[in-house]
Amino acid sequence: MRPLPCTLIRIYPLQLSLSQKESRLGLKLIAPCIGVIGILIIYPILYNIYLSFFDVRLAGENIFVGLANYERLLRESGFFSSLVTTVIYLAGSVIGTTILGLLVALVMSIKFPFRNIVRGVILLPYFAPVISVVFGWQFFFDPVNGIYNHLMVETLGIAGSRYNLIGEPRSALGIVIIFSIWKNFPISYLLIISRLQSINKDQYEAAAMDGCGPVARFFHVTLPELYFVMGTLIILRLIWNLNKFEEVFLLAPNVWTLPVFTYYTAFTGIIDQGYAAAISVVQFVVLAALIIFYVKKVLKW
Amino acid sequence: MHKRRSFIQNIMLAGAVVLLLLFCLFPFIQILSTSLKYQFDWGNPSLIPRKINMDAYRELLGFSATKEVEIPESIKRLLDNPLLKEEQKQKILERYSSTADIFPFARYFINSFLLSAGAAAVSLVLAMFGAYSFSRLRYRGQKIMQRGVLFVYMVGGVLLLVPLYQMGVKTGLASTVWGSVLSLLLIYIIQTLPVSLYMLGNYFRTIPYSIEEAAAMDGCSRLESIYRIILPLSVPMMVTVFIYCFIIAWNEFLFASVFLRQFPDFHTLPLGLQSLFVSRNAIWDRIMSASILTLLPVVICFMFAMRHLTGNLVEGGVKE
Repeated sequence: MRPLPCTLIRIYPLQLSLSQKESRLGLKLIAPCIGVIGILIIYPILYNIYLSFFDVRLAGENIFVGLANYERLLRESGFFSSLVTTVIYLAGSVIGTTILGLLVALVMSIKFPFRNIVRGVILLPYFAPVISVVFGWQFFFDPVNGIYNHLMVETLGIAGSRYNLIGEPRSALGIVIIFSIWKNFPISYLLIISRLQSINKDQYEAAAMDGCGPVARFFHVTLPELYFVMGTLIILRLIWNLNKFEEVFLLAPNVWTLPVFTYYTAFTGIIDQGYAAAISVVQFVVLAALIIFYVKKVLKW
Repeated sequence: MHKRRSFIQNIMLAGAVVLLLLFCLFPFIQILSTSLKYQFDWGNPSLIPRKINMDAYRELLGFSATKEVEIPESIKRLLDNPLLKEEQKQKILERYSSTADIFPFARYFINSFLLSAGAAAVSLVLAMFGAYSFSRLRYRGQKIMQRGVLFVYMVGGVLLLVPLYQMGVKTGLASTVWGSVLSLLLIYIIQTLPVSLYMLGNYFRTIPYSIEEAAAMDGCSRLESIYRIILPLSVPMMVTVFIYCFIIAWNEFLFASVFLRQFPDFHTLPLGLQSLFVSRNAIWDRIMSASILTLLPVVICFMFAMRHLTGNLVEGGVKE
């Protein structure tokens, strides 16, 4: 490569030093982005914290209430049950997504006919709009028309009578978890398989020479190589799923994870946006901790 | 290492692949099947309709003939009454021939399309310059910018729900139709901007510096080299980013429901579909065909961009 400084000095024979010029251009180019992000992301985050100390009126002045909204969070059971629902949802969907992603990646790394088509097709759940697939799932579990109930009651005779699984919050939570796994495993699969394919083949040969069977090779060679990517996936999935609204609300509006709880509090029934802001702040604190952990420990950006 | 697989291993592999395909595709097959069924067929677990029903598609795409209006017998008798004035008759008829029953699919589709494409385009242009700045120029604060992008890229929409709505109310935007549309457009821009910055930033760093140096030798300014070299080189990536942003906005429901709920003419597809679903019963065929039609653009984009998308997703350019 040509030595950089001398070429550049010839090009910019101006009063400003090179690095000054570069830094001016850099700031100029990024200024619009900073403006937009500052006004519409950073400011709202701070404004949200501010609002959480107020009784937010839809008409008229907001009234400062100090920590009253947070006291309510601790006092009322709604927040706690929502927290429990969120934890169950996160645990189920994160574990399920990661394990299924791993299994699919293992299967897809074997050569078989039409593998490329299969690899493409299984990404479809991830890209499909939530709104266009939830109705398929709802129909599947529909108490009157759904195949699930037909299978359970008429064909197999496991259940005594037709049952509305999505209508009942407990079973609905289970279905939301399965739906989330179905929707999001493709991205785990993609990340895992790309790591899987970069594992050095020699390692397998060496292990085989040492008398390791396929199972032992998986645990001693494959899995250790995948720890890092799987850890990354788990943290990312926690962050993403904590923010999920559509995938829960559109499929089963009776499953109150934190985002759904915020939505109901802010826009339905007795509207209380100060309280909703307080819920968001709690969610934000958890999220920020996860993100900082991710940026510090996992990502080298 | 390459041993031939035994017969049993082949069967197991085939079984796993078939099971996986079934799991992934069954909901789509279910939707397609139900969209083509008549109501009497809905309870039938078979996925193949006994009789193909295209009415739902015809209605959604606007091909159906003017809807036969059912007027109750009592009203018909009332209309036959010669004492009734023509004006009054018209008024009564209007009540029964209202178009409120038809799902304005085309309108919602266009709303969604314009919003998504607009947001994706603005976001792409902003991100192009921003990403170039922090990935190829050195200055104080550049590292912080880079980290900052990553941070906002993970902050989800739900967290901003209350403050953004309050900002909309306080500025008066949320009370008018076009103000609400503008707010939504801005929201879609900020929901897609961090991911565009991230994906483009990752890509720009892979372009060798020597190309730009050569251009500089030929007398290109830094800005010119963005237009003449970096942009042409990045066209495939920019298409990918555009599609990715488009899909994010196309799928968005939460903010659309908050800002546009009261303006039915401006509903986006997800919002329109959801209100259709909660407002009426026994419309599975129409719901399902609308789902298929909503899915279609995404599938087309997806097939078009699949190669780039999968590659870039792996490099970490993912946002949900």
